[in-house]
Amino acid sequence: MASWEGEVISTLGKSCDRTSWSTSSGRDTENGCASSWDGPASSSWSTVTAFDFLLVFIMGSSSRQGIRAGRGEQRAQRNSMKAWLNGLAEFFNSVTGGSSLIPTYRVLDGGGNVIPGAELPQIDKAFAHRLYENMQLLPTLDTVLYNVQRQGKISFYYGEEATIIGSAAALEMDDEILGQYREMGVLLWRGFAIDDVMAQCFGNEEDGSGKGRQMPVHFGSPKHHFHTISSPLATQIPQAAGVGYALKRTPDRRSRSIAACYFGEGAASEGDFHAGLMLASTIPSPTLFIARNNGFAISTPSTEQYNGDGIASRGPGYGIDTVRVDGNDVLAVLAAIREARKRCLEQGRAVLVEAMSYRVSHHSTSDDSFAYRPRTEVEDRKKVDNPIMRFRLFMESQGWWNADAETELKARLKEDVMKAFKRAETLKRAELSELFTDVYGGEQPWHLKEQRAELAGLLRKYGSTYEPWRKELAKFKNNGRDLLD
Amino acid sequence: MYQAVRDAMSIALAKDDSAVVFGEDVAFGGVFRCTMFGRERVFNTPLTEQGIVGFGVGLALMGHTAIAEIQFADYIFPAFDQLVNEAAKIRYRSGGTYNVGGLTIRTPTMSVGHGGLYHSQSPEGFFMGASGLKVVIPRSPIQAKGLLLGSIRDPNPVIFMEPKILYRSAGLFAVEQVPVDDYELPLGQAEILVPGADLTLLTWGTPVYHSKVELIDLRSILPWDVETVAESVNRTGRLVIVHEAGMTAGVGAEISAEIQKRCFLKLNAPIKRVTGWE
Ligand SMILES: Cc1ncc(C[n+]2csc(CCOP(=O)(O)OP(=O)(O)O)c2C)c(N)n1
Ligand SMILES: [Mg+2]
Repeated sequence: MASWEGEVISTLGKSCDRTSWSTSSGRDTENGCASSWDGPASSSWSTVTAFDFLLVFIMGSSSRQGIRAGRGEQRAQRNSMKAWLNGLAEFFNSVTGGSSLIPTYRVLDGGGNVIPGAELPQIDKAFAHRLYENMQLLPTLDTVLYNVQRQGKISFYYGEEATIIGSAAALEMDDEILGQYREMGVLLWRGFAIDDVMAQCFGNEEDGSGKGRQMPVHFGSPKHHFHTISSPLATQIPQAAGVGYALKRTPDRRSRSIAACYFGEGAASEGDFHAGLMLASTIPSPTLFIARNNGFAISTPSTEQYNGDGIASRGPGYGIDTVRVDGNDVLAVLAAIREARKRCLEQGRAVLVEAMSYRVSHHSTSDDSFAYRPRTEVEDRKKVDNPIMRFRLFMESQGWWNADAETELKARLKEDVMKAFKRAETLKRAELSELFTDVYGGEQPWHLKEQRAELAGLLRKYGSTYEPWRKELAKFKNNGRDLLD
Repeated sequence: MYQAVRDAMSIALAKDDSAVVFGEDVAFGGVFRCTMFGRERVFNTPLTEQGIVGFGVGLALMGHTAIAEIQFADYIFPAFDQLVNEAAKIRYRSGGTYNVGGLTIRTPTMSVGHGGLYHSQSPEGFFMGASGLKVVIPRSPIQAKGLLLGSIRDPNPVIFMEPKILYRSAGLFAVEQVPVDDYELPLGQAEILVPGADLTLLTWGTPVYHSKVELIDLRSILPWDVETVAESVNRTGRLVIVHEAGMTAGVGAEISAEIQKRCFLKLNAPIKRVTGWE
């Protein structure tokens, strides 16, 4: 049993003040006693205390202190029927501490001021500029794509700029990313070009993400360690546990790289979410789960997605270090993900971060969200809790930013995006013969060869004479002639 | 056949440092002596089929060799999405930049006679529409070893279905001396076991042992070996397909459609399917 449990104890010994749960359940197993009983009673607490040193509490959690029983006491209670019966009411909900909520870590308040007592993550002016540029690039791209798109779907990033860019900046460039679809900013942070974005969204011949086979924003790039996005929700979550385990088994990446997995609070309702967290906790691997809680899954508000305390409350159940962070505060996200990443590597274990934000935009271009939420709610959010504005105010307070810089940046980004857009528009689709490639590796099976030959035969016969086909073929690179060879 | 499967996995683990074997209860019962490869390489997972396949996809995405076990083929359905939408399509959706060729899913299949509803099914047909996957069913210990190693090393994700009645029944059917060395059998190729003149009988898995005419073991369900079958039917003029799964939209339906197209003028009788009751 002991191989990785032993490992865990030794690495945990090094980490700050985390004392119970994994460590204790490991010991319990070695001693041969059941660990299921006393584990959960203290787990939520220990997860919170573990992050105490960097947490600024918005909501108090001290009420838990009274309920928490030490390990020795718990043993005694277990042996004493009387204690059981007398204190039964106290045992209900002792894990969650009654009505108190998991606190949210923040560095900046809504006005961009550093909250008293909060520790600023280490950043300098140049790094701040980079954060801000990338945050601004997201809505710039959104606006252009929104205005041009005629059919299909493009998702939007409004409202989550801080979560995406803050986390991207905290990760190493070669940490493996498994995203959902709102994480384009991670790619941009890593140097994925605006031309690459356009190529994928247009599905043109330069689309290195998927040769025009997928819907817009389904990016992928091995060069940027960004696994290709899949439409079916949550499938990336157990995959991330496998990717993390592979990293742990790769000598030159072990202790250096982690798997970082993003998903929405809606996707977290899928079975795959539970499968993924469970696997990453029982088969330990350096896997960082980043739940983007933006309040909505298309039209469904998060209140209809769970009755517990968000996604963060589930982490302790899996014995995973967990923190909730203000997803509109880029510095808080940066600090929390840096710390979470460090824990992943030091402990060789999964960590869960829940980033709270609000999806200011519609779900996608085929969605009109004012049908299910008031326009005023959205407008208020844009003004009161705007992640870009908040960071801008902070930069101004440091003397790092001013109105001229803002004007220059916006103009430059818009120009870059428009240039890439105009270029992408002129490009054709990938070769038609790509329709049959990449289904299998190695030799192409007969049924695909035959189907390819059948299409080629039809094209030979009608391709140049049947007008609708001729028009359609003209949209492909080489006008479909590659199929005829 | 049980030992042959174990043997194949031992070879895969020994020769490929990235290979891992995992699934529900695989570390239990001495399937492998844990000391041989250690718990880092042969391990139990929690009870989550979707998780097992998703986890394997993740390993394979990183170029590792993932040999996952689904305890019974009847329980592969929670993993259907990870298999059909993920494993099968990752290469295509990423334009060839990612693939999960290192993934092999082993799972015991078919009936033993006392398995009841949920330990007797033959779900291979459900995967026949999932291009990108390969589906393989061995008939004997030698076949199991060669095809499993072939599957593990194939550059595509493979579902490897092991007819469970054959695990411990070497004496019942054929006694085979399984080569101890590493060796592979090719996927996608059927084998004519008994040559004949008047009728082609096409089947796979357990039913292979119940026939007398020109007998073909299809071995791979996807892609299936249309050439061998068509060549045989062109000679014999008659085809009977036998499978354990039910008739409607079973694998036999697909094969019948293709063979009647290719062998229409040579057929002396309609293609007949002998299948499980639905
Ligand atoms: C398995 C599956 N079911 C349903 C959908 C349709 N769908 C696409 S996005 C979405 C909402 C997801 O919400 P959330 O996870 O909160 O992410 P967000 O869009 O808020 O970032 C749904 C239901 C899907 N893509 N996959
Ligand atoms: Mg959401």
